[in-house]
Amino acid sequence: MTIPTFILKNALRNKRRAILSISSVAASLFLLVTLQVALRELTLPPESAGAELRVAVRNRISLTNPLPVRQRSLIEKIPGVAAITPFTWFGGKYKNEGGMTFAQFAIDPKALGTVFAEAKMDMTGYQTFVAKKDSCVIGKITADKYDLKVGDRFSLDSTVYPGSLTFEVAGIYSGTPDDRNMLFRQDYLDDSIGMPGYVGMWWLKVTSPEAMPGVIATVEKSFANSSAEVKAESERAFQLGFISMLGNIRMLVASISTVVVFTLVLVAASTMSMSIRERFRELAVLKALGFRRRELFAFILAESFGLSAAGAVLGIGTAYVLYTYGNISQMTHGILISFEVTPRIIGFAALVAALLGIVSAIAPSLAVTRMSVVQGLKTLD
Amino acid sequence: MASPDNIVVIRDLTKRYSQGDIEVTALNRVSLNIATGEFLALMGPSGSGKSTLLHIIAGVDRPTSGECHVQGVDVARLNESQLADWRNQNIGFIFQTFNLIPVLTAAENVELPLLLTQLNRSQRRKQVAAALDLVGLSDRSHHLPRQLSGGQEQRVAIARALVTDPALIVADEPTGNLDSHSAQDVLTALQSLRRDAGKTIIMVTHDPKAAAFGTRQIHLEKGELS
Ligand SMILES: Nc1ncnc2c1ncn2[C@@H]1O[C@H](COP(=O)(O)OP(=O)(O)OP(=O)(O)O)[C@@H](O)[C@H]1O
Ligand SMILES: [Mg+2]
Repeated sequence: MTIPTFILKNALRNKRRAILSISSVAASLFLLVTLQVALRELTLPPESAGAELRVAVRNRISLTNPLPVRQRSLIEKIPGVAAITPFTWFGGKYKNEGGMTFAQFAIDPKALGTVFAEAKMDMTGYQTFVAKKDSCVIGKITADKYDLKVGDRFSLDSTVYPGSLTFEVAGIYSGTPDDRNMLFRQDYLDDSIGMPGYVGMWWLKVTSPEAMPGVIATVEKSFANSSAEVKAESERAFQLGFISMLGNIRMLVASISTVVVFTLVLVAASTMSMSIRERFRELAVLKALGFRRRELFAFILAESFGLSAAGAVLGIGTAYVLYTYGNISQMTHGILISFEVTPRIIGFAALVAALLGIVSAIAPSLAVTRMSVVQGLKTLD
Repeated sequence: MASPDNIVVIRDLTKRYSQGDIEVTALNRVSLNIATGEFLALMGPSGSGKSTLLHIIAGVDRPTSGECHVQGVDVARLNESQLADWRNQNIGFIFQTFNLIPVLTAAENVELPLLLTQLNRSQRRKQVAAALDLVGLSDRSHHLPRQLSGGQEQRVAIARALVTDPALIVADEPTGNLDSHSAQDVLTALQSLRRDAGKTIIMVTHDPKAAAFGTRQIHLEKGELS
């Protein structure tokens, strides 16, 4: 026998309790990892390749207020602006589905090659899109979900404009962080049920990341004191602003995580205290045999650390395997696209587990330190 | 003062417990010499201070005043961690309730105190085998405590007490939880430890029949030797 086997035998002496405490650590850490990953996905939308060059320009009052088309020629003249496209939300419902399962935006068809260049699509699709007014392009996820192919025709009922529009699929794109949107032509919207002369917002592409601050400032200044003042911001800032509309999710997730960790500490600490208390007499015997306080400390710490570590491996490992190899977009019906367990999150959960191992060893260690051999021998089994 | 033949020399040893206003004198100016190779039976009524005396000699409790030298070492002067080392090297403990670790086999229980020594695995194994052999339990080495009878458990505890080859073995009512037959086995084992291995043994007991196995009997009465 060696010291490690002695510690192992002690830790596993009550198998049911060991399994329960490992499971409770595992379940809590799984939950913690899930919360952290969800938080990350929601607050840090995956960056697309062109994001550092893109600027969103929207009505200063709110996103739902439109912008006049005449702004376009002014913006195009600003130095540092490489391309511009309108971006107008259509709010269409597909077939009679209850909610809106993918978003549709009206754009300038050429923007697919400029402002949204990271969307990959074959050349014929692009040419059709530029040539045919009623054509549209669809993200691969949505195309797969509804089994839409190039050449298919379908209609959408708009919840923003009166009536519905019929589109023909020109191409299917992929390569953006979220291949779900449907993009169609602003001129098609204007010529049918739309509001000619107005667009939802503008997306710009700037010539270099260094040019961005200047462009943002100039765009905002150009329309200051006009009937449609604008707010211009980087894509990142724009998306974060969107998220803050969802309420203070970060705060919510942080407080749930805190409660999870707190509960976990209480459970682990009381389990550990209980299991040491039951062995008080044995620990007194070990002391009598010549084991020193620090050796008994090490036993207790190793045991509680070991239990936490086992739970951590199980809980974090399950989360990692599930979210890395599982099909998240299918499991969540497309609400979440990717669910990445980053090294940082793994590190955070492992740190929580390590602290748990240490914290739950404190109380029993103190009790064992205070205990004299004579006192310990008198405790009943 | 300490003659080389005396392994334990006790002078004016007093132990008082105070609980609030009430003060209990567990030992009152006890003086005692124990010669090397003795099998001392310490008798006396309940509450007379037997366990207290044994604990002070074994270095798990400290006197209020007086001195207790074991092999020339003033035990009370050692600090906690020195005491732990000292106990491991010099004292073998046997308890009334055996106190084996339930999840360890007989051999592993015996091996426990050796984990604190520099011995390697095969040396440890050899010493464990010798100790179990001495108490007649070689064939039980892989049994868990619950698979052993009370007498066998106590003999495993004796093996654990002697495996580090300590000079002094202390036993607090080692037969208190045993039937007379098992008690006989345990006492015989202790007796042979003294005779064959030259150990000094201090045994607390209520039972005159058990005390008769010792080479000398002393009586404590209200904390004083009579
Ligand atoms: N921790 C303590 N606090 C207060 N008094 C104590 C404590 N330990 C022992 N005593 C008292 O000291 C006296 C001697 O106790 P001790 O345990 O040495 O007796 P004993 O001779 O071993 O008795 P028994 O045969 O019942 O085991 C008793 O009166 C007891 O009440
Ligand atoms: Mg006693």
